[in-house]
Amino acid sequence: MIDARSLQVLANFCNAAADAMAYTLMRTAHSAFVKETEDFSCQVVTRDGLAFGNPRHLGAPWYSGVDYGGLLAMFPDYAEGDICITNDPEAGHVATHTPDIHIWKPVFFEGTLTCFVVGHIHNTDVGGAVPASLSRSLSEIAQEGIRIPPVKLYDAGVENPYIAKLIRTNVRLPDQNLGDLAAQIASVNVGERKMREIIRRFGLDTFLQGVEAILDHAEAQARRALSRVPDGEYFFADYADEDSPNGLPARVALTLRVKGDEVELDYSGSDPQLGSSLNMPTGGLERHALVMVGLTYVLATLERGIWLNSGTLRAARAILPEGTVVNSAPGAAVGMRSLTCALTQIVTQGAFAQAVPELMPAAAPGGNAIMNIRTAARNGKPAMASIGPVGGGGGATPFADGSDGAGGTTGFLRNTPIEISEAEVPIHFLRYGLEPGTGAPGRWRGGLSAVMEFRVSAPETVVTARNRNRSIMPAWGLQGAGEAGVSRFIRNPGTPEEENLGNTDLVRCNPGDVIRVVGPGAGGWGDPFRREIERVVADVKRGAITADAAERDYGVVLRDGEVDAAATEALRSAPRPDPSTYTYGAERREFESVWTRERYDLMTEFLAQQPVSWRFYLKHRIFAAVAEAGADAPVKGQMREIFGRLCARHGLDVPEAFA
Amino acid sequence: MGYRVGVDVGGSFTDFAVLDEGSGELLALKVFSRPDDPGAEILQGLGQLQSRDGVSPGEISYFTHGTTVGVNTVIQRSGPPLALFTTRGFEDVLEVARLKIPEINNLYSRRPAPLIPRDRVFGIAERIGADGAPQILPDREDVATQVEKARVSGAVGVVIAFLHAYRNPAHEEAVRDMLAELAPDLPVVTSSGTWPVIREFERTVTAVISGYVRPRVAEYLDRFEAALASAGATVPAHITKSNGGVMALSQARAEPVQMILSGTASGVIGAGFLARECGFDKVLSLDIGGTSADVAVILDGTPQFGTGELIGEFQIHIPSVAVTSVGQGGGSIAALDPLGVLTVGPESAGSTPGPACYGRGGTRPTVTDAMAASNLIGHGALGYGAVSVDHDAARSAIEPLAVGLGASVESVASSIVDIAVSSMYAEVSGLISRFGIDPREFHLFAFGGAGAMLACFLARELDMKGVVVPQRPGVISALGGLIADLRNDFIRTLFVDVDAAGVAKLAAPLAELEATGRAWLADQGHDGAVSVAVSADMRYEGQSFEIEAPLEAGWITAADVGAIAGAFHAEHRRLFGHANPGAPVQLVNLRLVVSGPTPKPKIPKPPRATAPAAPERQVTGWFGGVAHDVPLYQRAALLPGHEIAGPAIVGQEDTTTVLPPDFTLNVDEYGNLVLTRSDRTGGDQHD
Repeated sequence: MIDARSLQVLANFCNAAADAMAYTLMRTAHSAFVKETEDFSCQVVTRDGLAFGNPRHLGAPWYSGVDYGGLLAMFPDYAEGDICITNDPEAGHVATHTPDIHIWKPVFFEGTLTCFVVGHIHNTDVGGAVPASLSRSLSEIAQEGIRIPPVKLYDAGVENPYIAKLIRTNVRLPDQNLGDLAAQIASVNVGERKMREIIRRFGLDTFLQGVEAILDHAEAQARRALSRVPDGEYFFADYADEDSPNGLPARVALTLRVKGDEVELDYSGSDPQLGSSLNMPTGGLERHALVMVGLTYVLATLERGIWLNSGTLRAARAILPEGTVVNSAPGAAVGMRSLTCALTQIVTQGAFAQAVPELMPAAAPGGNAIMNIRTAARNGKPAMASIGPVGGGGGATPFADGSDGAGGTTGFLRNTPIEISEAEVPIHFLRYGLEPGTGAPGRWRGGLSAVMEFRVSAPETVVTARNRNRSIMPAWGLQGAGEAGVSRFIRNPGTPEEENLGNTDLVRCNPGDVIRVVGPGAGGWGDPFRREIERVVADVKRGAITADAAERDYGVVLRDGEVDAAATEALRSAPRPDPSTYTYGAERREFESVWTRERYDLMTEFLAQQPVSWRFYLKHRIFAAVAEAGADAPVKGQMREIFGRLCARHGLDVPEAFA
Repeated sequence: MGYRVGVDVGGSFTDFAVLDEGSGELLALKVFSRPDDPGAEILQGLGQLQSRDGVSPGEISYFTHGTTVGVNTVIQRSGPPLALFTTRGFEDVLEVARLKIPEINNLYSRRPAPLIPRDRVFGIAERIGADGAPQILPDREDVATQVEKARVSGAVGVVIAFLHAYRNPAHEEAVRDMLAELAPDLPVVTSSGTWPVIREFERTVTAVISGYVRPRVAEYLDRFEAALASAGATVPAHITKSNGGVMALSQARAEPVQMILSGTASGVIGAGFLARECGFDKVLSLDIGGTSADVAVILDGTPQFGTGELIGEFQIHIPSVAVTSVGQGGGSIAALDPLGVLTVGPESAGSTPGPACYGRGGTRPTVTDAMAASNLIGHGALGYGAVSVDHDAARSAIEPLAVGLGASVESVASSIVDIAVSSMYAEVSGLISRFGIDPREFHLFAFGGAGAMLACFLARELDMKGVVVPQRPGVISALGGLIADLRNDFIRTLFVDVDAAGVAKLAAPLAELEATGRAWLADQGHDGAVSVAVSADMRYEGQSFEIEAPLEAGWITAADVGAIAGAFHAEHRRLFGHANPGAPVQLVNLRLVVSGPTPKPKIPKPPRATAPAAPERQVTGWFGGVAHDVPLYQRAALLPGHEIAGPAIVGQEDTTTVLPPDFTLNVDEYGNLVLTRSDRTGGDQHD
């Protein structure tokens, strides 16, 4: 019997099994993406697919509450020695884009199925239209590389050799994929052995009862944290810069409903399914891991020592309307769902910032560009490498500056050392580090953005900066913070040929081209004029801000490095605006002066009642119509008129609410 | 003939291990450490050795010494203000680190502040390519400008770490030479001179730590040398190293980072030596003190080596004995979480205020208190009389938890031990998976003050072969220093294909490495036998990482492509389960370890027992919350041939061995206690 005295013992054992899986994976994997970046997951899940054992410090933190139920149910029965595999986002709602190859293995004990050991690796490339398989520009899943439907890679211990051949035939770097797959197999085998030892130690019945107790405890901890959040309904929305190349903003909207110790995450009002790859294939599952990442972070921050597993999410449910960016229909491109997932994390933090303003940090800006390069070595052989993430810093917290270079929800990835990248591919780095002036001003400053600049040396070089965002609308700050800056992607900076690459995520380069990427600025917290003068001076000394910025943004006047106390006092004693909960950039304010919440809500309500395949097209037509009509007329009547006109032209039904 | 002396200066105690070269016998001594007056403990110990054992300082023929002064400098951040010179454009290397934040689920988490803040980092306009070719040469005027800025910033030393210096150190050395003229008063450390391996952050932070600890280490070594001289010891002293070897004081002054983990490394070396001598070929060493619990893998007496060992908040990347921290030792605090679930750690009472039962101000229940409340420790003086155990205080500390859980103090105490052991199990599991070993083939070799107290509990969870408690668990680190070989690591980054043309390029660098290695040994004052081990970091072409495979020097001199590639294929197969013998192989680094063996003591065999072991008395002890009559033995009374069925407690002045009811104790021919599970079957088969 597992009780309050022994619960941590079993939990430690189960997490140890997941740790062992993660260490085995890292020891035996082949790709830099696993060894250097740590983009992978390992779990132990119940017979129903609910995660109850997680690595404590390793891998991507998105999957602690993952539900493998949909995948496990793909096979009517399992035999000892089975290992199943899939990367298909349209099967079982566990894989969420093609590079994530998931495998799972049943753990039998004395003939009884007891649990599964599972995990995934983000493969650098799985074939498809672009190197590294992912680009926002792709419009259907068929362009995103090979899809392996759920299949037994090992059937009762016997390998199906066809799978490896299938992978080898369809990807750009087969040795890397197959090396990583071997590592995954080693990892689940270690997990299986560990779990058997654990079950033998505790006994099968005690183990099964204890697993439920582990999930129950995590649930109770989460409920305890939520019960301290004031009841209420909190709406927050944020935008991807573009819903397609040169496209329109795409909104992720969240209504957070807190009642007692429960929470509802209602994503109604989010954009329709898009014609680019920003869609999230969640299947509408009310606890899909991808839409719960932000909540998991918030709970882990509010309740120190909380156990993270599927039980953590029991007090929450999400509403994910079908045919939207948070629940796309089959066929949709989904490769860049991580950009949208970042937005779900951001709006979750934003909504909680209304509920518990004294505890919530500004969000990391998202749009953490994952840089890949495909080029040619001197001997003409193709060379390809993941050269690391380039994003913004962490958002400022109510107690401290944001973490520089990466932080908050983007703090889990490791970079690739410059020396490794230069040894792997013939490119020459000119700069890698932190970009001065990029952390938004605040009582606590946002973290500085990362910057990377390099020169390519071969023709036909393709640089992808996938996941880029925030090149138009900057991240928001909290409680009177200053404005953040946007991300930048530039070819040949500082030359007559300088070219702003805008919000794109793919650029073809020639020898000698220099590429510069700067992450988006992270939001600040509180009025910057209340920041201690010493901190402002220290920021100037270390180059985080300029003396001009100290005066303009912080009201601290420096003369030859010394504080001019009188001038500073004069600036700082002037009246300050009342701090608003959120600080938005000018671009968002301008956009929302036309696209008010009311207008956007009307549009998403209208689109929700049109066929899925029409929605993206109609959205663009509606935006065009609003641009033409201007924002002066009363919103409701104007939108009704636009909807009516579009329906008439295309022979669509006008929904009753808008008739 | 004289005496060879090994000394390990720890936080609380200083241990001496002395080898009588004439008789081969080993003496041990323990005195209090004197952090207030470093060197004083050495004088005191040498004095006692003379009065007690007749060892006069003049008769000391060899002296090794391990200290925590380096690691403490980092943990307390008490080093001097330094400047860092980087390649221009890459000045944020310490700030960015490897980007990942320490607590990936916590929105408040931040990376630790670097030891050199950003306003004392200066970019130098220079560049070397990934192929080692100079692209932009460092300019003296530029360097002069930067060093002036460094002075203005208050720096009293400079660390130089340029991109690709592992491949070609020329620019770091050129700037170092410029600084010697421009600023001869500023000591300089280079990354290539510290340890020239690829990965700029790791190499830079290691060089920074080396520079950061250097002044305090040098000051300490001066005091230490003076203390030795004033005691009349004339022999040049040696210092134990993180790589498990020893070095002369001159290298310790020049490369202080080499000694930073000397204490933990010596413990593993000592454990490995004893384990091999006593016939245990596969052991995990378990060293538990008041504030730490460390585990290392030892195969055939040889520890595993790695890089990236943790020093405070930072990793250092030099070849080190791989030691993994598996917990906070006996000081981990037990508490009820807000939902009433019992938890242990991560908070620790450390050595101050310490466990409640030590009566030094601690009031919160710790793992040591749980053992005391179970009445399994504290039946004699611990720590050579420095510590006494107050059983009532332990029970009082646990009482509130027992009330909260509605259970007896003894059963809660048992749960505290279970939880502490389960979190150690979790850490050891990670270690096991990192090395890919099977714990069921291993003995747990327990030392440190609390190792033998908890070892059986951990060995049971890991289904290990058994537990070994050596005769003097407290002196293992000092012994390790005493028997450690002179040892140094060398590396050369080459990037050649493993084919006829490429392998032909290896002989010259190997000869250079070997000459450098032999010269190093001679510098250390060594004139005996020399052992050279060669290995290489290799990979398949296109693979993004290397693995280290052992080589024979003869393969390189004979340009034997097949043997060199074969060694790589074999190692790849061992690690990953597969190899691709047809694929082209690249050799990235050539490595060489040179060592000069030191004399080893005989491990004495005590006389065999002639009568059954007699317990001193019976006590009531609790295992799993159940009371047992537990016989209490004195260690000195246990002789080879004795067998004791659990439960039992064995007391000795430096530790307490706890034998649970399901274990049996045997004393082997060397006097080690070997504790095995009475019903152990061996578990299921390794996959």
